[in-house]
Amino acid sequence: MPIRLLPPEIANKIAAGEVVERPASVVKELVENALDAGATDIQIETRDGGRRLIRVADNGSGIPAREAELAFARHATSKIASVEDLAAIRTLGFRGEALASIAAVARVSLLTRAAEDEVGTFLRVEGGQVVQREGRASPRGTTVNVENLFYNVPARLKFLKADATESAHIANVVMRYAIAFPDVHFSLVRDGRLAFQSPGSGRLLDVLAKVFGADTVARLLPVDPAQDASLSPDAKVRVRGYVSEPSLTRSDRDGLMLFVNRRWVQDRSLAYAVIQAYHTMLPEGRFPVAVILLEMDPAEVDVNVHPAKSEVRFRNPSLVFSKTQRAVRRVLVAHAPVPEMHMPQPAQPQAHTERFRTLSQLGLEAQRTGDTEAVRAPVFQVPERPDPAARRLPPLRVLGQLAQMYIIAEGPDGLYLIDQHAAHERVMYDQLMAQQAAAQAAAQQLLQPLPVELTPLQMSTLEEALGDLAALGFEIEPFGEDTCLVRAVPAAIAGDDVATVLRDTLNELGQEPPPPVQGHRVTAVVACHGAVRAGKTLTVEEMRALVEQLERSEFPRTCPHGRPTVLHLSMGLLAREFGR
Amino acid sequence: MKVSCLQDNLAKGLSIVQRAVPSRSSLPILGTILVATDGPRLKLAATNLEIGINCWIGAKVEDEGAVAIPARLLVDFVNSLPPDRIEMDLNVRTNTLHLKCARFEANMNGMDPSDFPVIPSPEENNRVSMDADVLRDVIRQVTIAAATDESRPVLTGVSVTVEGGQATFAAADGFRLSVRTAPLKETAAAPMTFIVPARALDELARIATDQEDPVEMCIPEGRNQILFHLSSVDLVSQLIEGRFPDYKQIIPRTFTTRTVMNTGELLQAVKTTNIYAREASNIVKLRIVPASDLAPAHVELNATAAQVGDNVGEVDATVEGQGLEIAFNSRYLIDVLSVISEAQVALETTTPSSPGVIRPVGSNDFLHVIMPMHITQ
Ligand SMILES: Nc1ncnc2c1ncn2[C@@H]1O[C@H](COP(=O)(O)OP(=O)(O)O)[C@@H](O)[C@H]1O
Ligand SMILES: [Mg+2]
Repeated sequence: MPIRLLPPEIANKIAAGEVVERPASVVKELVENALDAGATDIQIETRDGGRRLIRVADNGSGIPAREAELAFARHATSKIASVEDLAAIRTLGFRGEALASIAAVARVSLLTRAAEDEVGTFLRVEGGQVVQREGRASPRGTTVNVENLFYNVPARLKFLKADATESAHIANVVMRYAIAFPDVHFSLVRDGRLAFQSPGSGRLLDVLAKVFGADTVARLLPVDPAQDASLSPDAKVRVRGYVSEPSLTRSDRDGLMLFVNRRWVQDRSLAYAVIQAYHTMLPEGRFPVAVILLEMDPAEVDVNVHPAKSEVRFRNPSLVFSKTQRAVRRVLVAHAPVPEMHMPQPAQPQAHTERFRTLSQLGLEAQRTGDTEAVRAPVFQVPERPDPAARRLPPLRVLGQLAQMYIIAEGPDGLYLIDQHAAHERVMYDQLMAQQAAAQAAAQQLLQPLPVELTPLQMSTLEEALGDLAALGFEIEPFGEDTCLVRAVPAAIAGDDVATVLRDTLNELGQEPPPPVQGHRVTAVVACHGAVRAGKTLTVEEMRALVEQLERSEFPRTCPHGRPTVLHLSMGLLAREFGR
Repeated sequence: MKVSCLQDNLAKGLSIVQRAVPSRSSLPILGTILVATDGPRLKLAATNLEIGINCWIGAKVEDEGAVAIPARLLVDFVNSLPPDRIEMDLNVRTNTLHLKCARFEANMNGMDPSDFPVIPSPEENNRVSMDADVLRDVIRQVTIAAATDESRPVLTGVSVTVEGGQATFAAADGFRLSVRTAPLKETAAAPMTFIVPARALDELARIATDQEDPVEMCIPEGRNQILFHLSSVDLVSQLIEGRFPDYKQIIPRTFTTRTVMNTGELLQAVKTTNIYAREASNIVKLRIVPASDLAPAHVELNATAAQVGDNVGEVDATVEGQGLEIAFNSRYLIDVLSVISEAQVALETTTPSSPGVIRPVGSNDFLHVIMPMHITQ
């Protein structure tokens, strides 16, 4: 084929692909336009997951009659005029591509009226061409109708997921903007039913209550510049938002939302900075709920990285990350005050230092008659004795449970804190390994085979791991393209949320590169996800049984991931610290 | 409001409604107990929006009124008072409740009672009733099988089917199923089926401990709630929406071995074996041995824990059918044997990997299905 220039309608369709990937991208662009137009009320309506109809109506500035057609021209924008403007973008849109791109792949109509116009303008655009234009009565503002999305791009249409999935993406988009703009009233109507609505009260917490539910919101802690001098308003980077207290966790990262200058962004490093602020406060594989809104001089951040504008580049990333992490950490520590004590560190061979844990890393909660108060004392570290015989645990007497996470026990020489999840993980791992050594697996059958829906990645991981999982007692068979049937589970698995255990297990097994484990990987992963979680109240009997089992383990002091299971505060140390 | 009542009565009433106070809530009003006059009685109410409890106690009402008082404060204070008459006096303007009992006095800052969520009262239609002691028994037998995990909400509930003169209660957690039928005091006007949270039923059983009159159940039209009406307490619970799995198809219709044992003996034997079993994923193996020339019929129970050792126990039995070895989770066995009051139980089995059915001997209204464990080689 000879080289030739593409006809404009094909070129447009290709360019559209970058902006309009799926119905949710259309919603995103239209909502951004409404926000840029200063709307205070934005109504979104969709049908059939946005495939049949997306309608976004706003009460913003509207488009003046003479400019209406221009809005559909590629690279036509009212938001920047020169290259210099690109360096400091204050609006959500600026590329002037969205309307043109959407009009290239759908049937679009626009009804708009600017304040200065008496009559509104109605435009119908098909295949990128204006096919109808007339004056029509209209309230101030703009309504864009997008019908039959991708009707002329069958390849895209084929890649769309079920209506429910596309609707979920749309809802996510709307919720993100509702969070970034609490003063704007958003409503999302899906197939004629109200799916989401934000009050537009200007209070972020009101929006979060709609997004996460009242229960979650009750357990969010404010990251508030007004409470924290280092976040002062004149600082280069301002951090605010809400983060969950450490006891509230999720198995996915969907509760983690980041915004930069009111724009939702995806940034792994920034997300990591937030998760790291919870260091050691969260059980393995659990994630916080955190809504972080950063504000900075627009010149400090480049949003023109990708047409979808959800990736950003910071001029000074490390400043942004450390600012964010410190702000979150400070809130968490203030919530759960940490006794920071200090003890001269005995000369120890290097190899043992990794086993040291400071109390502060554990996020111990000092509680006094109901209200929390920091215990002031210097920092100390608890060294593990190098003597291998001392690896075994002495007999312990259970005293109670702390924060539904740690077991408090008394031993011959002081106090022991036991991480219930890590301890059970160790015990389960030992049990499963013993069964494997005997080439036997104890399986508990299910009353009815449980269908579990899996992602394609989980499905392929399952196929690979099927043999290993069966050796542990799982009885699973593939059932159609995206589902498997579970008939039996390893008897050692705690609780009855079989689907979550399986999914979490497959997620971890599918990770590239595999995280380090000591011993047999699949067994360790199953032990980890089948073990009792942090956040579960244990009866004294359950705690006693767990501690006894741990006492019998050969390696009672670490879980198979190498995290410590036990922390020891010796009598000597206590005496010293209390100045006796 | 100006009321007086006895400390005993108030403390008892508070202990009942207190169970509905959420341990943490974003709505401060939910952390309170509503104290209100209601005719000649005093009404106490609390709710976590999932369940709500109203309780009435005898009182001398001089002046009507209502106030919402922080639950912890009220409960702790009243509990520590001597058993004497308590006088309460409300300052309506500030919502401050003044309490006086013997030589103790207190002021409690309350909240506006009109902010307190309304807990509905029973309606006339869709109403059935059951003997209180039967209902308590039913709840005990069924809620043991309900799931505690929230991943499949319907399974945290008890499915109730009311039809004709009886009600059937069922719960299942993925590994076991409990089904119990019980007679109603009168024939239901129309069949109904709904799912009640097991937690709400456990609460009801606790409240109904000294209830003598029948307990009325009422499902108000279109509200997705159930109301239990006792002599001096109403408990309202949200129903769980969704479809309960069709459990009838899970119940095996046939068996090849039927083993009858003494309930208490078997329970004791499982508990003994459990000391080992709990170290090894709770597996207890049952070897069912029919009568032979060598020995009378019996069941051998054993558990092996790699790091601990093993143990064997034995109970007498009558066995119809062939011998069999089958393993169960010891916790499940203990749970079900603990709620059977009949002297004997029958275990119906077919193969080591098909479900076992446990029924009290001499009664047809309860059955429990347990999935076996198996050892794959
Ligand atoms: N809802 C709206 N209200 C007012 N003006 C709008 C609206 N939507 C689009 N416009 C106008 O149309 C222009 C083109 O929109 P778009 O293609 O999304 O590009 P961009 O937002 O990047 O400028 C905008 O610059 C704006 O002037
Ligand atoms: Mg735009």
